[in-house]
Amino acid sequence: MKKRTINKVAVIGSGIMGSGIACHFANIGVEVLLLDIAPRELTDQEKAKGLTLNDAVVKNRLVNMHFGNALKSKPSPIYHESFARRIKTGNTTDDMAKIADANWIIEVVVERLDIKKLVFEQIEKYRTPGTLITSNTSGIPIKFMNEGRSADFQQHFAVTHFFNPPRYLKLFEVVPGPACSPEVTSFLMNYGEKFLGKTAVLAKDTPAFIGNRIGVFGIMNLFHVVNELGLSVEEVDKLTGPIIGRPKSATFRTVDVVGLDTLVHTSNGVHDNAPNDEMHNTFKIPDFINKMMENQWLGSKTNQGFYKSTTNKEGKREILVLDLKTMEYRAANPVNFATLGMTKTIDKVIDRYKVLVTGKDKAGDFYRKTLAAMFQYASNRVPEICDDLHAIDAAMKAGFGWDFGPFEIWDSIGVEKGIELMKVEAYKPNAWVNEMLTSGQTSFYTVKEGAKYYYNINKKQQEKIPGQDAFIILDNIREAKTIWSNADASIQHLGDGVLNVEFRSKMNTIGAGVIEAINKGIDLAEKEYSSVIIGNQAPNFTVGANLAMVFMLAVEQEYDELNYAIKAFQDTVMRLRYSSIPTIVAPQGMTLGGGCEMTLHADMVVAAAESYIGLVEFGVGLLPGGAGTKEMALRAAATFKEGDVQLNSLRQHFLPIAMAKVSTSAYEAFDVNILQKGKDIVVVNRDRQLATAKRYAIQMVENGYTRPIKQQVKVLGKQALGMFLVGTDAMEKGFYISEHDKKIGNKIAYVMSGGDLSEPTYVSEQYLLDIEREAFLSLLTERKTLERIEYTLKTGKPLRN
Amino acid sequence: MKTAYIIQGFRTAVGKAPKGVFRFKRSDELAAETIKHLLKAVPQLEVSRIDDVMVGCAMPEGAQGLNMGRLISLMGLNTIDVPGVTVNRFCSSGLETIAMATAKIASGMADCIIAGGAESMSSVPMGGYKPELNYDSVKAGHEDYYWGMGTTAEAVANKYSISREDQDLFSFNSHQKALKAIKDGIFKQDIVPITVNQTYIDASGKRNEKSYIVDTEEGPRADTSLEVLAKLRPVFAQGGSVTAGNSSQMSDGAAFVLVMSEAMVKELNLEPIARLVSYVPVGVEPSLMGIGPMVAIPKALKRAGLDLKDINLIELNEAFASQSLAVMRGLKLNPDIVNVNGGAIAMGHPLGCTGAKLSVQIFNELRRRKQKYGIVTMCVGTGQGAAGIYELLS
Repeated sequence: MKKRTINKVAVIGSGIMGSGIACHFANIGVEVLLLDIAPRELTDQEKAKGLTLNDAVVKNRLVNMHFGNALKSKPSPIYHESFARRIKTGNTTDDMAKIADANWIIEVVVERLDIKKLVFEQIEKYRTPGTLITSNTSGIPIKFMNEGRSADFQQHFAVTHFFNPPRYLKLFEVVPGPACSPEVTSFLMNYGEKFLGKTAVLAKDTPAFIGNRIGVFGIMNLFHVVNELGLSVEEVDKLTGPIIGRPKSATFRTVDVVGLDTLVHTSNGVHDNAPNDEMHNTFKIPDFINKMMENQWLGSKTNQGFYKSTTNKEGKREILVLDLKTMEYRAANPVNFATLGMTKTIDKVIDRYKVLVTGKDKAGDFYRKTLAAMFQYASNRVPEICDDLHAIDAAMKAGFGWDFGPFEIWDSIGVEKGIELMKVEAYKPNAWVNEMLTSGQTSFYTVKEGAKYYYNINKKQQEKIPGQDAFIILDNIREAKTIWSNADASIQHLGDGVLNVEFRSKMNTIGAGVIEAINKGIDLAEKEYSSVIIGNQAPNFTVGANLAMVFMLAVEQEYDELNYAIKAFQDTVMRLRYSSIPTIVAPQGMTLGGGCEMTLHADMVVAAAESYIGLVEFGVGLLPGGAGTKEMALRAAATFKEGDVQLNSLRQHFLPIAMAKVSTSAYEAFDVNILQKGKDIVVVNRDRQLATAKRYAIQMVENGYTRPIKQQVKVLGKQALGMFLVGTDAMEKGFYISEHDKKIGNKIAYVMSGGDLSEPTYVSEQYLLDIEREAFLSLLTERKTLERIEYTLKTGKPLRN
Repeated sequence: MKTAYIIQGFRTAVGKAPKGVFRFKRSDELAAETIKHLLKAVPQLEVSRIDDVMVGCAMPEGAQGLNMGRLISLMGLNTIDVPGVTVNRFCSSGLETIAMATAKIASGMADCIIAGGAESMSSVPMGGYKPELNYDSVKAGHEDYYWGMGTTAEAVANKYSISREDQDLFSFNSHQKALKAIKDGIFKQDIVPITVNQTYIDASGKRNEKSYIVDTEEGPRADTSLEVLAKLRPVFAQGGSVTAGNSSQMSDGAAFVLVMSEAMVKELNLEPIARLVSYVPVGVEPSLMGIGPMVAIPKALKRAGLDLKDINLIELNEAFASQSLAVMRGLKLNPDIVNVNGGAIAMGHPLGCTGAKLSVQIFNELRRRKQKYGIVTMCVGTGQGAAGIYELLS
């Protein structure tokens, strides 16, 4: 069979989703043609300029406006601003013929069948047979969209449902139409996962597919439970937030962000199109929601929903909540439930559920009621909306930011125990659940030899979840593959001699335990294994050094101990580069401070596209003291060319540190020389990151790893220092930075210039490390630095003093 | 002492930097073409009798390096006989050369000198390509030796309480006066039309050529208003008052005058237009650079034996509205005689050229008004000021 390649995609419809999808294809290197309709009327401005409806600027006004707004939106839909050049815009009047050379045409127009059918008619007219056509509809049945289309069209037609924002939300639902060829389905699933970096989930053509069907049921059911139990908005958000592994925005705040009208629209869709749903009435909009719709309290877009941001008498911002009894806004009350108190000591969220459902208060009632309803609902949806139960869990995790899906939660409570809960609430599981239990299988999932298995209801037995061979999931292998561990980190053998050092300290902060583990990993690799990866699958790679420890030692003036600790960190980071084995660092999520310094020193970096990397020490009154400042001086020196103004390059390497710049993607990290072309790579799908790193590690070993040579670094000394000092002084005089900022900036400049040497000089890395450490320690003797650290430890925010 | 006379003076229009009409015109070319034009106006003068070409330039490096004065002489005079020198006192360089020429002739060291200035801020960045500041001075607390000019403008605004509103109003008026002057053709006789040739890649990706003539100021904006100016953000200080709208523009331009001894004037039967009566540079606090004229003007008046009330017209270089207003208020200058045709905020400030450009402007305006005395004055970087007093002769 001919291999299908995607070089160019046409996206028809440039609204928020259309532009977002276009940007994400640009993110993965695909050329995009983004089209929208030509406007029917001129704006006053266009009239004033004497333009007509036939002028190209007018014809492309809508698409260019939508696309321009998308590029300006935050967080950015695009990994790197230069990637926007992969997108060409046009209008459906003039440019439809250009879809002939697109390998894939994606329809993202308004959710109206009549309009979609017109678009498909046009697409059929111009597309090349054999190319893919997909719709991003969130609910229009495929059989209607197929009406009147050719056989070739229908064979290549499916729904590919992205979630907003397409770059950030991982869920990608693939819904093949009745005539869609298996080749197309499997291509879309594979492409979605491997190239788009998504969690591709195979869904059936049923109302709202998987994510929205289950997710909206959860919210609608909760609306009813809230009434029944008399819970407040802030109580529900406390109960359904991080405490159970869901986003901080929990339930009501999430609805505010998404828009109440969107929720109501989806719920109505299910209500109208799934008349046989056993929970049909749950999708009926309750009175208080109708009232909110009437009042246009739709959430962020109308500035009030379940929450409302106001300014109080003192001029401070205050968030009010909607009182569902009075339908008036009031200040939020503190939320206290004994049930929640019981989970305080349980760090692993998955272990909390079985405790929460035993609660004796309203919170306990809430969990029992909502989980029981969810268990019944989810079990009844297999095989209606998808054949495999893992698809439901995957969709909820990828699309709604849940850490655990319904079946995983159910497993954590115990399947039988879950059924007991259901009985009390007059719910019951689908017959296949009882069948499973009767056959002696007591859970939906099992982990065997590092692989995860699920209960397949057709085969009535546990089957390996497909696709995971491309992944290394630490949760699945940790138990079997850990060869060493301490309280803060563990080392797993990933096979083929490749070790992985995983942090597991709080927030993955770097302290003595992590340092010990990295050294142990390198020791082991040098003696018995072959290579070391530093990688983990927590939300963030690491937020940096253990500041609390640094603060304590500084306050107690234990400078010798601090010096020792920082030296140990520098030495460890240097070992990443100069050990005799290859090392790979795999950053993802926030990779700050010390995490960035590790990234800078690995032999190779395999970064997740969603990596937010930076040297942020400036914010807490410090400079990068774990070889980061040294390394940026070294990288600047590497760019020095005879005859160039070398100071300019040095300044470019200085500014990201002095501005505590954090990249908004791995690609941006190349701009500030934290990642380096030719050495470091980016992986779009985070799930593939460790497997990819492992492949590279093996390759580096196989190729005969050569340890890099220690470098002599050209520093500019006084030649550069004067300029830096005047620069920070001007910033201070302009009130852009404080006096203390200036002091820190000047210390960074001092280290990066190699001190006040009389002429440009070649120095050793160790010389730079020593002055870096000295500067770091001297800042720790400053009251204002300690104030900054203390403030950040307390509030999580930087203090400008 | 002998008397030195100014015979003629011309300037180019001023283009915006770095993206204006002269961005592909080098300052040596602007200067050479201005000099050629100047000599055409004095056909009696044989080129070989010119003793020197003195060019003021504030950033004499890169495209303006290698002693641009000599290169301009070679390019503009079509002879190897006349030497050239480049002189730098930042923003007063173009006036400095006229003063030096006057002094040389007065002392009998020369009879005929072309003096003026040329600057392309499009081609050389402020501060030069490779600034290397004295770390030991800076460390000793003298960062202000190297402060950006905007920072000093903020310092002046603060010290002399010059409000944002006043700065914006001053700037708006500068544009209005300049626009009116252009409309009335006031600058026509000053300006040397310059042909600019551009080789570029056209819309079809091919090499293409075009040329155009520049004979009008590029800077003044008819579309500006107090509302627009009020919206601009301060660029040198958070919560500051100095904006791109109330600062001088970065510019490209050239201006030159012909200075001659009395003997030669008589021999060639020429009619001088003016003479430089006195010229003084002064030093002030580097952090308050903008107040330079406040010290320079009284000192220049004293040397000339004149009083402020004798002065008919003043060209006060508008480096910044804040310093212009501080100087005008400090010396109680009559606003009606200051920058009557607008200033650098509207028309631009091609650093080393400015002193000569303002001189050319003031000769013609004094003549139009049939008045006698004019002052050209400016603040100068690193805490200096300069002022020159001209007497119109015809």
